[in-house]
Amino acid sequence: MATEENLESMIVQNVLKELAKNGFLQNVKTASVPQVSETPTHRSIVNDADEYIELPPISEILIHEPIHKETVAALKAMTPARIGVGRAGPRYRTTTLLHYLADHSQAQDAVFLDVSDEFLQRMGIFEVQTQVSDREEHLTRPDLGCRLSREAREKISVNCKKNVQVQVFVADGLSSKAIESNVAELLPALIQGLQGEGITDIGTPFFVKYGRVRVEDEIGILLNAEVVVELVGERPGLGTANSLSAYIIYKPTEKTVEADRTVVSNIHMGGTPPVEAGAFLAGLIKDILKAKTSGIKLTTG
Amino acid sequence: MRDRNRDELISVGIDIGTTTTQVIISKLTLENLAGRFSVPRVQITQKEILYRSAIHFTPLIEHHLIDAPAVAALLSAEYSKAGFTTGEIDTGAVIITGETAKKENAKAVISQLAGFAGDFVVATAGPKLEAIMAGKGSGAQAYSVKHKKTVINIDVGGGTSNYVVFNNGKVVDTACINVGGHLVELEPLGSRVAYVAPAARKVMRECGLTIEPGQTAAYADLKKITDKMAEAVVAVFAGTPGQGMAGELMMTEDLRRDYILDTVMVSGGVADFVYDQEARALSMEEVSRYGDIGPLLGVSLHKAVLESGLFVARPEETIRATVIGAGSQSLEVSGSTISVVEDLLPLTNIPVVKPFAGLAPADPAKVKTLVERSLEISGFEDTSVALAIAGPADMSFNSLQSLARGLTAGLTREIERGRLIIIVLEQDCAKALGQSIKHLIPGNRSIVCVDQVLVEDGDYIDIGKPIIGGRVVPIIVKTLVFNRPDND
Amino acid sequence: MILKGKVYGTAYTFNSVRDVLAKASEDKSGDRLAGISAVTAAERVAAKLVLSELTLEDIYNNPVIPYEKDEVTRVIYDGINTTVYRKYKNMTVGALRETILDHETTGNDLANISRGLTSEIIAAVTKLMSTLDLIVAAQKMRYQAHCNTTIGLPGTLAFRCQPNHPTDNPQGILASIKEGLSYGSGDAVIGVNPVEDNIESYTRVIEVVSEFIDRWQIPTQNCVLAHVTTQIAALEKGAPVHLVFQSLAGTQKANEAFGFTVKTLDDAYELALRQGAASGPNVMYFETGQGSEVSLECHEGVDQQTLESRCYGLARRYKPFMINNVSGFIGPETLYTGKELTRATMEDLVMAKLHALPMGVAQCYTNHMKADQNDQEVANTLSALAGANFFMGIPGGDDVMLSYQDTSFHDNATLREILNLRPCPEFESWLEKMGIMENGRLTKRAGDLSIFND
Repeated sequence: MATEENLESMIVQNVLKELAKNGFLQNVKTASVPQVSETPTHRSIVNDADEYIELPPISEILIHEPIHKETVAALKAMTPARIGVGRAGPRYRTTTLLHYLADHSQAQDAVFLDVSDEFLQRMGIFEVQTQVSDREEHLTRPDLGCRLSREAREKISVNCKKNVQVQVFVADGLSSKAIESNVAELLPALIQGLQGEGITDIGTPFFVKYGRVRVEDEIGILLNAEVVVELVGERPGLGTANSLSAYIIYKPTEKTVEADRTVVSNIHMGGTPPVEAGAFLAGLIKDILKAKTSGIKLTTG
Repeated sequence: MRDRNRDELISVGIDIGTTTTQVIISKLTLENLAGRFSVPRVQITQKEILYRSAIHFTPLIEHHLIDAPAVAALLSAEYSKAGFTTGEIDTGAVIITGETAKKENAKAVISQLAGFAGDFVVATAGPKLEAIMAGKGSGAQAYSVKHKKTVINIDVGGGTSNYVVFNNGKVVDTACINVGGHLVELEPLGSRVAYVAPAARKVMRECGLTIEPGQTAAYADLKKITDKMAEAVVAVFAGTPGQGMAGELMMTEDLRRDYILDTVMVSGGVADFVYDQEARALSMEEVSRYGDIGPLLGVSLHKAVLESGLFVARPEETIRATVIGAGSQSLEVSGSTISVVEDLLPLTNIPVVKPFAGLAPADPAKVKTLVERSLEISGFEDTSVALAIAGPADMSFNSLQSLARGLTAGLTREIERGRLIIIVLEQDCAKALGQSIKHLIPGNRSIVCVDQVLVEDGDYIDIGKPIIGGRVVPIIVKTLVFNRPDND
Repeated sequence: MILKGKVYGTAYTFNSVRDVLAKASEDKSGDRLAGISAVTAAERVAAKLVLSELTLEDIYNNPVIPYEKDEVTRVIYDGINTTVYRKYKNMTVGALRETILDHETTGNDLANISRGLTSEIIAAVTKLMSTLDLIVAAQKMRYQAHCNTTIGLPGTLAFRCQPNHPTDNPQGILASIKEGLSYGSGDAVIGVNPVEDNIESYTRVIEVVSEFIDRWQIPTQNCVLAHVTTQIAALEKGAPVHLVFQSLAGTQKANEAFGFTVKTLDDAYELALRQGAASGPNVMYFETGQGSEVSLECHEGVDQQTLESRCYGLARRYKPFMINNVSGFIGPETLYTGKELTRATMEDLVMAKLHALPMGVAQCYTNHMKADQNDQEVANTLSALAGANFFMGIPGGDDVMLSYQDTSFHDNATLREILNLRPCPEFESWLEKMGIMENGRLTKRAGDLSIFND
């Protein structure tokens, strides 16, 4: 392309020169294509205006002059995959690279940051911790994230009613963002839904820091709850850093296996909206209480 | 228990047109595509046509009444030929099209037939719906998706030609003109004119011809008439809107024409003569073989559409397009998390009222006022209505509570009179909204709240019994317009 | 056999060959989770020291999981050429390392030696290699295979086009295939991971891919990466399958958790040869990954690198067309940092090649690892340099179904350019015909998926 442009400017210059020679261009002394100024021009900072540099929408077609632009748009509409992105040499366009980095930043922050104290206060739920001591240990030692610390066991025993029908709790899992963006909408819808189904014996919800899915077994045993519902942050993808899952289990024991759990995933505004998920879970919990089982046995039984 | 992840429905389509009556039976496969660990997501994954009836002449008494017993007998014979009983038909649509919809007993006949055809078979009519069904059945809709084009489908029937415009699968426009192959009836294989419909008289007048029933017609004169008709058909999308013959024969508003058409497709009975060069109508015998000017209109249209400048695409179905559309394309499924009471279903012919232009207002008082006002304006006194709502002001729990409060307040009178609360949402929140309403009026068992359905003010909606383990309900959205003005 | 070592005066004692192998491994979170890794850096070196003096026979006589107890061990031992093994059994692991690296030792020599090596021996020797050692070794070995086309020819680098879609939407899958092909990606295979693992979904997806390949006459292979039993069932019903896929682990227990046994694979292999739609003779595709056994709690006290090597021992039985690791996919509990990931990748590549396998690499990472794009690109470049047969190709590097990052179509094109590598020849001719490539370079048209306007 560069050569084409050069060629073009060469032709233009030659034509202009020819014209000038023949006296057609009185005002042109030395015909030339404008050159880049050699002295840097100063651009002042205008941060007071309400103007930000933002990422363009991901739906933007970045291919340089596609043959069928409407085809590209239609194909892009068929998939959330990063297609129709064009290229700079063999590499990404700048926008594509920045989008990727921005999405990864969301995912990394969802994984590596904590659920804020402010959020827990707003929700009015207390916090306990598993046997994990820091974020790195949480990620590399999933076994410890399945066990409550001694302090946690005590705090839960003191603050929560035993032998309830339904015990709901929240665990950060692999996305703190999932907790902060969904729980406030999901939890009231779930409780309202349960009440609507006539299920009123619901335990006090709380938050487990550095919690994994299997920690719900210990909690269920500790509180002797009939059904335990864990709302846990899912491993973030690049597009969705705030997806939440609900793991529901009927009377867990030490021998509980994964197939005993009923799982509802992909809860976020781009998937199942949290408020609708809460309502859906209420119906599901009713079914589980009625069937007195959860997981595979619920769907096949 | 039925499979929770897969279901099959047998769907019938019955098209009672100006000239012909047809039946198809198809099998729709519905599957939960969401997988084990997600909230269910049910879609129709396959449509297979199991049976196509022969093409019958529509039984009429004189020219103004549908011969209902004869239609019922025809249907009954087709069911037994297909090997199905009424009880085995899960769903479908009877559509009464073209001139037939104007017959005096059309509404009574079609309602009876729907009941006779199966439990959740709906009665439909109206040029808009007819056009859409034909465009779906002809393959125009699928073509527009596959080729990413804006496609106009013209279904040329016996009495009317119905236009539908699809852009990438979406319906963007419809219209109807009073042109069809059966507007002039001829003695089969002869040249004596048997009947001239009012619209045909107008065309004749324009051509400076007067041909009365009983007279013989010359090939050249008939060709003049069909050429004029074809010209009008094409003028609707390629000419100056509202002018000339096209303007006079329009039965609906003109096409909006605020899009650029790429492709034209012609379906309906005469389409075979548009596309199939073997099926020429060069002599009077060839023209009148079906007892009307249809073949000749096809020939005229062939030339006219080619001259329209658009790409002319071949339909997958011609004469059967509408019936296939009715039989396999009219059903959709609701979202998969809904709030319904099974005993209340099915509900049929529920008028749709849309209280808010966009999303619901955040203020419950405003919701109440708008709901009350829209119910008053719509004036449905003796039936439950469905409120069509895009969604709450935002998808938060609080907004849903506000919406629920506003709705129950606005529906107080309806609730007192024992009417059902039927809410049709666009956004995925029917379960939560249903629960929220229930929470406000405990003990009320008359709430039907479904989502992910697009309906408009003035539509009618049918909601079937839950399928796939109770997850979704089948839904048919239709526009019932019977008493349209006659264009004479 | 001495299992004690001393580093600068400090003595370390190991209780078994398995223990030595585990502690001689480079530091990885999976071995820490299993509680079998070296505790200090010095202990790790002591283990390497002890390992370097073990003979191949010492390792042969002490399989990490007993022959009677584990069918993966049986497959490995039953497949060894005893004549070759006897020729080298008295060599120490340290000496084997030097033999591999020696200028005099050619790829052909290594192909011959490999027939006498157990997977544990192969793991052992790579534990004594640094990254450049691994690259020198890997560059010597190049294995070809043929399904419909030939993979692994010198001077080529192939890619699996991986057009996954979160709901298996056929149009969505095709959209990503078109994007991939327009960048020259897809010569290894067009391989889709389906969301739903059942015959209907499988058949639907493979038919979409197969029809597309036929319509555009693309010289490549198809594969839908469902569970092997799903693929067997679909094959029996006549699905147009080129490659049969399965994920492998290094212990019988873990494979049972994956839902298959050696018998299952034997049946699948036989069926693929008898009823598959490809020319063959290589009709299998495997994925492996360090740490899957730890994740499944089926590691039997063996380190993840050695278990990975055993996967290759199992794969060797089925003469696959392609095999690759997905070590970065398992998660931070097995590989935590970008550094661990890079190291594991290079080990995997060499271990597979020492099993004479046509190895590729899925240079991937998840969002809960301490790794990013830069780590991935460095490791990817190294494994291309080391002569991997193929990599994955994913739109923008973001797999929207499996939620992890892998190499992108752009990375594919870049590696070919910077290392002067070409697509598989049949595929390159097709790219030229489509106007996507010219003289081994992308054309101006490349990257415009709308050239597939159907």
